[in-house]
Amino acid sequence: MTQDQARPASSGVPDDAQISRRRFIQLGGAVAAGLGIPLLSSCTSTGSINSGSGASSTTGSAASSAAAAPRSSAAGGGATSGGSFTWYTSNNHVYDTWKNIISKFEQDHNVSVNWQKMPFTDMQTKLQADFAAGTVPDLVEYTTGDATMQFVVTGDVMALDDYIAKDGEAMGYPDDWQTQAVKSWQHDGKTYGVQLQLTAQQLYYNKKMLSDAGISAPPQTWDDFLAAAQKLTSKNVYGVALNADYSYSEPWVLQTNAQLYDPTGKQFLTPRANAQEALQFLQDLVHKYKVSPTPPTGSDFTTSRQLFIANRAAMIITGPWDIKPIRTGNPNLDFGVSLPLKKDKTATIFAGSGAFIPSKSKRPDLAWDLIKRLTALDAELALTKEAGQTMPRKTWASNAQVTSDPLVSGLAAALQYADDWGGTLASTGKLAQVNKAYQTAFEDIVLSGNSVASALQTFDKSAQAALGS
Amino acid sequence: MTLVQTVSSRASARGVTTAGRRRSRLARRRALAAYLFITPALIFFAVLFFYPLIAEFITSLHTGAKSTQFVGLKNFTKALRDPSARHAFYVTLEYAGGVLVVSTLLGLLLATILNQRLLGRVIFRGVLLVPYLTSIAITGLLWRNILDPQVGLLNRLFVDLGWPQQTWLNDHPLAVIIGITAWQETGYITLLFLAGMQGVPEVFYEAARVDGASVWQRFRHITFPSLAPTTLFVSVVGVISSLQQFALPYIVTKGGPADATDLYVFQTFQTAFTFRDFGYASALSYLLLIVILCFSVIQLRVGRRYGAA
Repeated sequence: MTQDQARPASSGVPDDAQISRRRFIQLGGAVAAGLGIPLLSSCTSTGSINSGSGASSTTGSAASSAAAAPRSSAAGGGATSGGSFTWYTSNNHVYDTWKNIISKFEQDHNVSVNWQKMPFTDMQTKLQADFAAGTVPDLVEYTTGDATMQFVVTGDVMALDDYIAKDGEAMGYPDDWQTQAVKSWQHDGKTYGVQLQLTAQQLYYNKKMLSDAGISAPPQTWDDFLAAAQKLTSKNVYGVALNADYSYSEPWVLQTNAQLYDPTGKQFLTPRANAQEALQFLQDLVHKYKVSPTPPTGSDFTTSRQLFIANRAAMIITGPWDIKPIRTGNPNLDFGVSLPLKKDKTATIFAGSGAFIPSKSKRPDLAWDLIKRLTALDAELALTKEAGQTMPRKTWASNAQVTSDPLVSGLAAALQYADDWGGTLASTGKLAQVNKAYQTAFEDIVLSGNSVASALQTFDKSAQAALGS
Repeated sequence: MTLVQTVSSRASARGVTTAGRRRSRLARRRALAAYLFITPALIFFAVLFFYPLIAEFITSLHTGAKSTQFVGLKNFTKALRDPSARHAFYVTLEYAGGVLVVSTLLGLLLATILNQRLLGRVIFRGVLLVPYLTSIAITGLLWRNILDPQVGLLNRLFVDLGWPQQTWLNDHPLAVIIGITAWQETGYITLLFLAGMQGVPEVFYEAARVDGASVWQRFRHITFPSLAPTTLFVSVVGVISSLQQFALPYIVTKGGPADATDLYVFQTFQTAFTFRDFGYASALSYLLLIVILCFSVIQLRVGRRYGAA
């Protein structure tokens, strides 16, 4: 049997049943087009998410000029814009107050707001991808100015100075904002974001547990704190629940007068003896005195809150973001707040969130208008009433609603002791690497109970390498 | 040669030439048809596979947050010197080895049991596959909630029973990650081994029994060698997937404590999306690709030597 005889039989297609070359080309072309066109169009579809926003299509480099010359109509808030508007926020910040603001914003501008909520850690990843792809949201609520600097130094964030020059006086920016809340968003003399919420970590305590243990006032110093924690610890109840998130250890370091980075001497965690003392104290709370459970690895910041809600921990160090969940989780829990603790000084870190406009935002004017609405004093007071959040305006801190509420005024009082963690390191764009090295050291010390000195040596190497690279 | 013969042979030669041309046209037509049919697949792979591979290699030659600064092969040499990358690589090797050994041994054991005539073995085989069919995100969160030392289910049970509480996530994080992976994959591996065992001719066992071979001897000398292709497949696929593991440390331990579960791909992800160094992350990815290729070739060669492939 020859090959010619065998082939049709084996293929099952007789010669006379074969399709002509032209037919094949037509068929193949149709299949390729059928598959290829949707494939290629799907590649470009992500780029057209915001294409509906044609009315205010300021893109790319034009965004910078938009910042330089904000269009008065949209910035005024009265323009009819149409299309959609995308903004990202933390999934923990879905407030009714903000929902109402968004609803009014949508009506006033005839836009549909695409409100995407996600944890800040995931937002970091999403923003990286967005910036790389060039499909960015119009407005972003992000953690702090420090964390945002990594995007600022690469030109992904729009400078707001022209908007501020135009509207700053009317909205009270920057004069009515706490100084540190303005400073942390500045780089090379320009402002890249506006603080939306300003929070500080401080001591939260279970009033009944302290009272039952005969502790008349919440501790103010480390010594008082340790004594109280020992007194409060019993079977299945801990005096304190330390957090597994390394950022909750930062106030302790600041309380010893140490800082993350000294730019003059280019030293990390300095003075070293002080920083070491802070981390040793945290380790001892867990491993030596056993007044705190070992913070579980990989958990988010909510575990200590859960223990507090369940009456299994008498004290936690946290911020206003936990007030609403505590009230919801255990409405009967009577808790108070006291000032940040003191070792060499009373200190804490400030956190919260702010808003920035990506350089490639298609609707920067609308974004700025939304920032103004979110930071209005009325909005801040409403948010405090709703969720106990603390705010960056000085007039907020002096408002009767704040001063007359013992809990909120206690939160506001802590703000004066708040400092930032990254300092000048943020503007190098390497804070994330240094923080990662610090996280490793913190976990080694507090979670695993290993030598503080050894962990800090490793930290030094990693941090110096990050800065030198 | 006569004239008739000459004419005949020329005609025959012409006929052969004509037939050859026809065959050649037919072959070309068929080749064209084949190319047309594979064109969609080629486009698919070109757009979604080859292009990203090339783009990633080009990125690996650059550095900076936007990968704009050309550095040649420096990212590759940096990776070889980088203690963090080396640490992550060693942790990943431990993880891959642990998962391979535990899940293969468990799979083999369970397959041997399920190969017997047991009541309800069909149901048990189905149940065994459930972890494998469960999303890795759900698996991770499930085990995180079980093992959490403070608010986990297991410690609540231990407290109720009056037992000391476990802190395995902090004390033995890598073992926990290995255990969770083995829990998820063992069912699938069991089924693969079971299929392999059912392909072994019964006559081998009958002959062995006649010769007085014990159960262990039958397993050692008949079952196990017969499962060589399955074992090779399990080990190659297992090592590749373990070296690429990302989701479990991301969900369960976040690479901690103190980088104890900082697997290679997790660190590559952090390099790209936390440290904003896509060039270096791309170089790390390429190095992993080379390592996986080397492992696979070694495994296949070893398998071939022992007749498994």
